Order: sequence, then C-alpha cells, then structure tokens
Amino acid sequence: MIQENIRNFCIIAHIDHGKSTLADRILEKTGAISKYELKEQMLDSMDIERERGITIKLNAVQIKYQTNDQTYFLNLIDTPGHVDFSYEVSRSLAACEGALLVIDASQGIEAQTLANLYLALDNNLTIIPVINKIDLPNADVLKVTQELENIGFNKEEIILTSAKTGVGIDELLEAIINKIPSPNGQKKLPLSALIFDSIFDSYKGVITSIRIVDGTIKVGDTIKMMKTNATYEVLSLSINTPHEQEVKELSAGEVGYLYASIKSLEDVKVGDTITLLNNPTSKALPGYKEMKPMVYCGIYPIESNKYEDLREALEKLKLNDASLVFEPETSKALGFGFRCGFLGLLHMEIIEERIEREFHIDIIATSPSVIYEVLLTDHKKVVIDSPTKMPDRSVIAKTYEPFVKVSIYSPKEYIGAIMELCQDRRGIFNNMDYLNDTRVTIYYQLPLSEIVYDFFDKLKSCTKGYASFDYEFIGYIESNLVKMDILLNGEIVDALSVVVHKDYAYKRGKLVVEKLKEIIPRQLFEVPIQAAIGTHVIARCDIKALRKNVLAKCYGGDVSRKKKLLEKQKAGKKRMKQIGSVEVPQEAFLSILSTSEK
Amino acid sequence: MIKHTYIHIPFCHSICSYCSFCKILYNHKYVKLYLEALKNELNHIYQGEIQETIYIGGGTPSVLDVNELEQLFKILSKLKKDTFTEYTIECNFSSLNLEKLLLFKKYGINRLSFGIESISDKNLKLLEREEQKNQIVELIKLARKLGFNNINLDLMYAIPKETMSNLDEDLEFIMNLNPEHISTYSCMIEPNTKLYLNKVKAIDEDLDFKMYQKICNKLKKKYIHYEISNFAKEQYQSKHNLGYWKNEEYYGFGVSASSYRNNSRYTNTKSITKYIKGEYDYYHELLDKSDKMSYEMILGLRLLEGVSKKNFFNKFQQDIKDSFDIDSLLEKKLLNESKTHYYINEKDLYISNSILVEFIKE
Repeated sequence: MIQENIRNFCIIAHIDHGKSTLADRILEKTGAISKYELKEQMLDSMDIERERGITIKLNAVQIKYQTNDQTYFLNLIDTPGHVDFSYEVSRSLAACEGALLVIDASQGIEAQTLANLYLALDNNLTIIPVINKIDLPNADVLKVTQELENIGFNKEEIILTSAKTGVGIDELLEAIINKIPSPNGQKKLPLSALIFDSIFDSYKGVITSIRIVDGTIKVGDTIKMMKTNATYEVLSLSINTPHEQEVKELSAGEVGYLYASIKSLEDVKVGDTITLLNNPTSKALPGYKEMKPMVYCGIYPIESNKYEDLREALEKLKLNDASLVFEPETSKALGFGFRCGFLGLLHMEIIEERIEREFHIDIIATSPSVIYEVLLTDHKKVVIDSPTKMPDRSVIAKTYEPFVKVSIYSPKEYIGAIMELCQDRRGIFNNMDYLNDTRVTIYYQLPLSEIVYDFFDKLKSCTKGYASFDYEFIGYIESNLVKMDILLNGEIVDALSVVVHKDYAYKRGKLVVEKLKEIIPRQLFEVPIQAAIGTHVIARCDIKALRKNVLAKCYGGDVSRKKKLLEKQKAGKKRMKQIGSVEVPQEAFLSILSTSEK
Repeated sequence: MIKHTYIHIPFCHSICSYCSFCKILYNHKYVKLYLEALKNELNHIYQGEIQETIYIGGGTPSVLDVNELEQLFKILSKLKKDTFTEYTIECNFSSLNLEKLLLFKKYGINRLSFGIESISDKNLKLLEREEQKNQIVELIKLARKLGFNNINLDLMYAIPKETMSNLDEDLEFIMNLNPEHISTYSCMIEPNTKLYLNKVKAIDEDLDFKMYQKICNKLKKKYIHYEISNFAKEQYQSKHNLGYWKNEEYYGFGVSASSYRNNSRYTNTKSITKYIKGEYDYYHELLDKSDKMSYEMILGLRLLEGVSKKNFFNKFQQDIKDSFDIDSLLEKKLLNESKTHYYINEKDLYISNSILVEFIKE
C-alpha cells in the first residue's frame, strides 16, 4: 500500500445528524458493500445502538476508492457522538488526519457539533464541513452555511449532501482525497501504534483497533504495551472492508485490527502505545488518559437469588466496556448488589438497559450520585461515591462537589427559560455568545449532581426540544452538602438516601416524600414517609392505611376466580421489595430521579 | 358425597348496569331449549345423592312464566331431597305474583331471595333497576302469608355517587321488612358491565369502608354477622352458601354454572347457544391436596367463626399450623386463634385479601 494514497478520517456530528447514514452511503458508493447487504447503519453493530441511533463502540472500515487512475485507501473511523464517550472520541480522532464535520441542514450547529469540532482541532485534523439532509423539506442550507461561516469556515469549502438520496457523495469523496493529507509517519522508525479502541469478541477474545503511526507490525511479532508493560505475540492482523480480511503486516499510516492472546479488555488501555519488544520506540504517543467514572449508582437484582447472574452480566459487559466499574455493595433495604461507575448518564442508561434486555435480569437502580470529596475534622480527605458512605456530620469539616462547565446551544427565544432552569439548579452564569442572529450559546457553571438527575429532560421541555447541551468537568468546589435520608415507617431506607445542597434540602425532601406517596400503595397500616437530615425531619407525608382489599361476593361461581385473583395479588407482591414491614414497588427507587417541580 | 346443587337460570327482563353474571333477555323460544339442555346435563351428571341444599339463581329465575317454572321444577324433582333440604329461588318483585308463589310452595321452595339492592331513586337510575317500594312491601307480606318464613334481601352499597344518607334510607327500609337474612355487597365495577363500559368511577375507598362499617354496626343489633357480606337471624344462615365457604362439594347446572366434584372445579360455558347444543365446554381446574388446603383457608376465613381446626385435620390428615405459616400471621395479629378455629378479626375482614394471599402457594 502506498502511504501517499492513504486517507484516515472520521465523521463527527451531533447526535442524529446523520453520521452513520452518511457512512453507510460512502460504503455503498465505493462498492465496499452492496445495497442488499446494507442494513441501516452498517457500522453500528449493537441492537441498542441501532435503535437509539447512537454509536457506542468504535469501528474502522477500509474503503478502496479509484480516481484519476489511482487506488486510494480510505480508512473511515467511526466515533461515538455522545459527550459521555468524549475520551474515546478524542483517541479515535488522534488516529486520523481529517474529519468530516456533519451538520443537519434542518437543525444547524448543536452542542456536540462544536464540542467535537474543538476536539478535532485539538488533534490538528483537517476539517471538511458537510451540510447533510439537504433533502429535508425544512432544510435551511443558507442559515447553516452562515453558522459555519461564523465559526470560521469558508462558504466554498462546504459540501452539501443528502446521505439519504446520495446527493453530494462523489464530491465528498473527492474532497477527502484532495484535502485530507496522507499520513506522514515513517516506516523505517521503530513501531509506534496507537490503540484507539478494543472490543471483546466471545469467540476471538480481545480485538484491538490500532493506527500505525511509525514502523511496521507483522504477524508473529512480540509487542509491548507501553503503559502496562504487558507483552503479547501477534496472532493475526486484519482489516475491515467491512468484511474482515486478514493481512500479514500493517505499516505506518495504516489502520487495522490486532489479535493477540489478550484475555481481558483491562489489559488493553485505549490511548496506549504499542511497540515491539526487541526494537522499542523511545517515546509513547501523547494524550493517554486513564478513564474515570463520573457517575455512580447502585444496581440490585429485584429477586435476590439473581445476584450471581447480575455479577456475571456485569462481568460480561465489562469485557466489552473497560470504562464500566463495579464492586459489591450491600444495602439494608435492597440486599446484595453492586455499586457501579459510569462515564456519564447515557452510559449508565445503556448499561442498565443491556442488563435487562440482554441478560433478562430485572434490576433496581438507585438514584445516580456523583463523587463527593469530604475533608474531615482530622484533615483527612475522603472520597464519597455513595450517599450511604457519607461520614457523620460531626466529623465533617468541609464538603466539595464536582462542577462542570455546561454549554447550551439554543434559539434565543428560550434564553429566559434556560437561565431559570440553570439558576434553579444552582448554576453560576459565565457568559453568552450569539452564534448568529437567532442562536446563542449560554455558558454556565453547574454542580455535576444537578445535571445527573433530569437536567436534559427539563432543558428539552423548556425549549420545546430545540436546545442541546454539552459539559466538561472543571473541578471540585466547596459546597454545603448534607445527606438526606428517607424514612419509611420510621426506618431509614439506605437505598433512597441522597446527598443534597443544604439550601435545597427542604424543597427536595418535600418533592421526594410526595412522589413516594404517589408510588407506594396503601399498606395494612398507616405509613409515614419522612425526609430527614440527621435526626431532623424536614418533610413528611403519610400513606393512608389500606381500607379495602376484599372480594365482597364469593359464591359457587366465584371460587376459582377468587383464587386466581389472589394468585395475581401474590405475584404483584413478589415484585415488590419488602422494606421493613412496608412493600415498596421498584419504581420508588427511580422516583427520586425524576422528582422535580411539575 | 355431594350435598349441594346450584341451578343457573340466565334470563332477565332487563339488564342492570352493574351485572356481570351470565344472562340474556327473557325469550320463550330460548327458555324451552334451555330447559331441555338443563335436563340433559342434570340427568347426565347427577349421581342420586340426597341434596341438603338446592339454589336456583340467575339471571332472574322468577321471570319464567308459570308453565316454564313448572317444567323447571319437574326437571329438578329428579334431585333427591329430605325434609331439611333448604330450597332457594332468586326472585325480583316485578315478575313475581301469587300464582308463582303458590307454585314455589307446591314444589317445596322454602327460601326466597330478593335483590332489592337499593330503593334510592338516584341509585336505581344508575343501576338501571326498576323496583317499587310499595310492590316490595306488598309481595313480602303476601309471601309471609303463604308461609315463606326464610327470606333474604340483597342490599348494595358504595354505589357510585352514593352518600351516607342514601345508605341510611336503604338500610332502614330493608330492616323494616324484617327479613331473616341480608346479603350486602359493595358495588364492584366489573369488566363487561355497562358501568365499566361507561367508565363510571367507583367511590372512594375510605367512604366504601365507612359504609361497610355502618352496615355492620346497624345490622349487628338484630342479626348475626357470620360472613364478610352476610347477616342472618339465629338458625337462618344460608346453608347453601355455607357449603361454598366450608369448601364442600357441589353440583352446578346451567350455563356458566360452576361445580366442585371429582377433585375438580368446573365452570360451564358462558355461551347460551353452545350450552343449548350440549357443548358444556367447561373450564377445569384439577386440585391436588395443597390446592384444596388453600381453598379451605381462603374460603373458610370469610366466615367470622373462621376455619375449624378439626375439620381441616379430618379432611387432610394434617394440622393447619403444619400446612401454612400461621405463626407469623398470628404474630402480626392478622389472624386469631380460638380453641377450635383460626379466624380473621372482624376489623380486618375488609382487607382480607391481603391476609389470604399468604395461603396461596408460590
């Protein structure tokens, strides 16, 4: 393969702007796959991805493209679009020389468009701006063009496409050849290859996606991971066209897959550098970062005998997803379960959904929590990833919580509503930019805990779905935090405890107890629901005692029916969690999530 | 030994809005065919035991004309009786007359059951019933004159939009008639009823309970409260219904009728056309020992006296406390124990399902 004829590029876009469809169209146009083979969104291989329209795991495809009597090799590296996976995005960007910045002609620039663009620019990529979905009746090419001009692109370099109809794809392919530089690594140098993704295949084990920066890797080589110092023998190398095709070697500028006898994804760190054991490079590639979970929650099986199944499910998911962390946790209310850490909320939702869908385990997820830092009176600092681990107030000197910088992109008519929402969530206004006459970017500093609840839903509803947002971690800031407990019938339900800002505790406590009152059915006796800080009760609601649960009439014809009715009640009872003497439906544990003013 | 028989007569002159029983509008042609089919079913299944109770329910059995009723009684005369047999027929007032009462007398009917339900105009309108206070009073007088000394009246409460004062009025009216037995039910809005289809909302749970409490308190002055929904003067408890609650076997003949025999609970087809063709097509639940023990408890605990320890042992050769987790229920005071019985406290009867689920096997 001639290095000058290689083009490594990726597609970056806001969610739903048609990235995967555009990739499909490129594959079809270049003949990499036939129309018959083309399932919608070929590159997304997980069901959830295809349904949610989100690319979760990365994928790289090599496309042969003939033009001007030359054969070009285009490596298309697909990236996840969501902010939760921004580190994965940044590593796949680092494997490219160029990026297609795709914008929906009807939506315009959105939060992740810019977030991803800045990441691409940080990686010195050549950007080709693409306005997609120009076939839509509400496409406004002129407006989107203006938005692109406002962020520094020339009108002339913008390519208009419709991935649906195929318009503009040829032009786009020409632009990829002509504008994106070929890779400039050197074959003669010692091997230096970037790991930009890895997946676990149940038949083959760990498959690692690599981009060769310098040197050559061959089947049979002994390689070394520079971060972990682990060494492996290369069993095989391959490329994806998107049909897997084995190759004997990969050289500078090329992208492919590597199989070695790697047992677990934990041994392969995305961002690490691979080199040869007997001829190592002296310097690792820059940008390696250990991924840290941002959001934690407890996951418990509804049926306690499913604990081992849940462990197995989490272990299997982890094979595929090194960023998922979990450790056993015991709750007085929910029994045995796991404290799980996620990159973000979407990541959390996806894992929860996969446990239920792929492993058929009914779970209770407790309300998500961020990681707090607590300075104790003896000057020790402790890290709190679960409200139940919050130390007693008497030994706490100071509490700190993670803050993020949130960028919200919206039509200007919603500025008021957005500011009200952010203010309500303890936001600190930073500034505001006008993207053009009608669209703004509002920057706020917000506690992460305030956006892990239902911020996105609220933002969507107060802007009729027009706003989008993105956030980045900025650090820990001192904050007056308290643990708020929920008591049912006088007993603390640990799984319902949350850490809240003291000034907001009353409001939140009231909302939570009211919500629980709606969800928990009447019991045989009156049940008080209380929210308390320490021993101080701040809100209370009572569930009235059950008054009627009887089949008033029961004669000859009703007997079998009566038994069936009781069997149904029994089954319903089984689905509830018995907490002390109170039967609590699983929704109650999620309810804390969605409590906010109506 | 099967000692009880239920006969279902599915005909009515009009359809009440709350009724979920199997019924059709009265029609001569169908009655004829129906009685034919009933005769076949009875002759085919009945084994010749003496019946302690026979109960003709519906529908409204009294809407049959005199000839049809006579034909019915002739069919039923195949059932062996003795002098103690309790023989009940359900009636409404608008279809009943002297001639029919005399016929009842002739064939040995000794218990009459009337569905009054309510006399408040507001309630009757919602229930789509037409009962006349005067007619009720007169007919009951007449029945008494003819020697019917075991009369049951049904009272419905918790009717949508009903108030406490409506209930007071109904209670007073019924108690003044001085029946031997009163059955009372809260109005349930069940699927396949007009109320359900019209999306009528049930009354508040707390008010429903208050009405039940009021009924119990009032009736207890003159009657024995012996089952969740039933009250009787001394010696006048319904023997037929006690058979159900004591988990005894029974025949059930007619469309939609249930029976308990041969270790099975059967329910006949609910389709009259199928029934007439002799396609009984019944639902069948074969019972093992543990099912029977469950039934013994969930039915018996409807009675205020509860489930007899001795009867249970005689039936199953094991004690109740060795068959169910009785101790935890006793501990929570959801169940009580006398020397001879286990029973649910009167104050908890209205939430008895929450207790009975404990007797359902996983």
